[in-house]
Amino acid sequence: MTKRIFKYTELIIFVTLISGFAAILFIFYAYFGTVQDKQLKTETAITAQAVEEGGLDYLRGLKLEDTRVTLIAGDGTVLYDNEEDASKMANHADRPEVKEALEKGEGKSTRYSDTKTTAMIYSALRLSDGSVLRVSEERNTVLTVALGMVLPMIWVFLILLIISWRISLKMSRQIVEPLNGFDLDHPLDNQDYPELAPFLQRINNQQKEIRQQKESLIRAEKDFVTVTDHMQECLILLSRKGKIISINNQAMKLLHADESCIGSDILYLERRVEFQRGLKKAADGEHTELILEYAGRHYQADISPIFSEDLKAAAGMVVLMFDVTDRENAEQMRREFTSNVSHELKTPLHTISGCAELLKSGGVRPEDSGKFVDLIFSQTQRMITLVDDLLQISHLDAGAADMKWEQLSLMDVVKSAENRLHGAAMTQNVQMTVSGSRPALIWGITRLVESIVFNLMDNALKYNRENGRVDVTVTEEDKAVRLSVKDNGVGIPAEDVPRIFERFYRVDKSHSREIGGTGLGLSIVKNAARILHADVDVKSELGKGTEFIIVFPKTKPTEA
Amino acid sequence: MRHVFEEELNQLNKDMITMGSMCENAIQTATTYIRYQTADKNAEIVDIVEQINHKERDIENMCLKLIMQQQPVARDLRTITSALKMVSDLERIGDNADDIAEIVSMNNIPTADVEAIELIDMAKAANEMLSDAINSFVKRDDELAKKVIDTDDAIDNYFNNIKLKLAEDFRDSSHNLDSVLDLFMISKYFERIGDHSVNIARWVLYMITGTLEGNTN
Repeated sequence: MTKRIFKYTELIIFVTLISGFAAILFIFYAYFGTVQDKQLKTETAITAQAVEEGGLDYLRGLKLEDTRVTLIAGDGTVLYDNEEDASKMANHADRPEVKEALEKGEGKSTRYSDTKTTAMIYSALRLSDGSVLRVSEERNTVLTVALGMVLPMIWVFLILLIISWRISLKMSRQIVEPLNGFDLDHPLDNQDYPELAPFLQRINNQQKEIRQQKESLIRAEKDFVTVTDHMQECLILLSRKGKIISINNQAMKLLHADESCIGSDILYLERRVEFQRGLKKAADGEHTELILEYAGRHYQADISPIFSEDLKAAAGMVVLMFDVTDRENAEQMRREFTSNVSHELKTPLHTISGCAELLKSGGVRPEDSGKFVDLIFSQTQRMITLVDDLLQISHLDAGAADMKWEQLSLMDVVKSAENRLHGAAMTQNVQMTVSGSRPALIWGITRLVESIVFNLMDNALKYNRENGRVDVTVTEEDKAVRLSVKDNGVGIPAEDVPRIFERFYRVDKSHSREIGGTGLGLSIVKNAARILHADVDVKSELGKGTEFIIVFPKTKPTEA
Repeated sequence: MRHVFEEELNQLNKDMITMGSMCENAIQTATTYIRYQTADKNAEIVDIVEQINHKERDIENMCLKLIMQQQPVARDLRTITSALKMVSDLERIGDNADDIAEIVSMNNIPTADVEAIELIDMAKAANEMLSDAINSFVKRDDELAKKVIDTDDAIDNYFNNIKLKLAEDFRDSSHNLDSVLDLFMISKYFERIGDHSVNIARWVLYMITGTLEGNTN
């Protein structure tokens, strides 16, 4: 702006100077013309007076430089000329100034001289003897006048230009300076230029609008960030080209990124081929679901396009990732469970079918048939136990809501289990002792408590050794009754302890057939304990024995 | 002009990461073949390797174009020359994965033989090395690059252990000699993948620091 103001000021000064110079030249030219005419007339009169007195000799004695003097006889014959040879000159009677002088006594004219080849002014005067004296000078042209003035004018010009340059520079700076100093945050406070008031008013209005919009944007963004950062899922918003627009805390944690990743390509955070393929598909408008592994956990990644309003192309993409490890594990367990159940059911069925086939074909001696029938019976018993256990488990899975809660004596349950297992203990040569306070009342479901106690005591017997011991202790506490089933049998390896409650999990797979059981016992214990709000704890040392501790609540739990 | 250059460098970076990711995918696929003997899906790896080769050519062309048109200096020049060197290592890794897949597809190697040696662990270690090398490139992390260079010994140890075990098997006439040789070749390829990963890490280090340490294999 300073430059522009300066440029225009300079231009104005320049134009003014040039036109001033032209005007002065014009006026001076006219003035000089009149002055020269007068001068020439005076010169002619003086010379004529001298010629009247001194005759031709005076003229011959004259030494002139720029002025031409000619004496012409009454008939036009040139008698004398100070610049040319008079005898060679033509008759001058037809020259206008001469003609005029002969008629009126004096004459003048301005014309182009053939002899001198320039514009000349002539002044003629008739002398007393009838001859005519003519004095002439070169006429000043515009150019000669101008040339005469050029040098001083240039000086004047330069001085003026320098002065005007300084002034206009200062002036333009002075105009612009307050503009630069404008406080645009508070436009209405600037009073330097009243002409700018409407403009500043508009800026003020627009600024207010911008402020409001900015505030609402910040608020919206804050809300968005608050919501997304508290999500359990990972959320990433991407532009169509894969640049990160927004990423929530969970996603940053998962992908080991920080806020600085916003604006960079998602490729820098997740380069896996299948993920990139998913993004490409999303950019083309297709939805993709993937399972990706991060530090041993499985995440499902849903990559979806976000369509722009015209619905033609994806304007961006959204990636939502959530932990599905538990789901995958559950699915895996379900698959294993199904395959285990089928296997466990199939094995006795094969035995039964084999025995039945032999009996049917008569390939068995009558005295041996008893053994086969026993085998069929034992295998069907095994299947019945298995199906019972399965039914119980599925019942427990369903929450056992139909079962009746009541107060019961844990000691009675333990005693009854002891009676049932007495025979087995005798056969295995294991000493079983029951100790503790009576009646040890607890709040629970009789069938479930029976299951827990029986299964634990049964296991303690099964996984015991010759001359082993099983100690069952019931201890009353303030709010709970504690049941401990301790044996000094084979024990459980430490790495297997976390898995013993899984369905069909057997620590020693090779001997499980001999020991019997379905592999569902501890699973039933755990599920029943869960429903009864009882705590289960296991302490085991390989080769030394195992202790199961179940803590039953005495009173009805609030949830029940 | 500078803006165009930056944009092209950015694209080069992205292409390098994509190519790295393809190589990781190739190794993982090859490892799955060994583990589950699913070599009939061989077509998959051939496809991956073809894409890797294609990417290598693209990146090479891009680097040459950048050098000729932009005449880069200092760090930019190092980035481009390192990229040129790294793509050939990446391409070799792709080829090695392809070779492994080819062996598995041609000869049926008993799973028990694979499990008897630490081949899957070695494959995992090699894959991790490559991942770390690429991560060091992505994050311009010289520490991680140095770690990759140091891990090379672990891969060599795996190779030596496997070699000793296979040599024993070779002397024992009850073993199938074909599969012993195949497993030896496969472990050698994984060892090469480790070496190429070290090369990549060295070039990353050169790109960051400007000095090239040690010899590339």
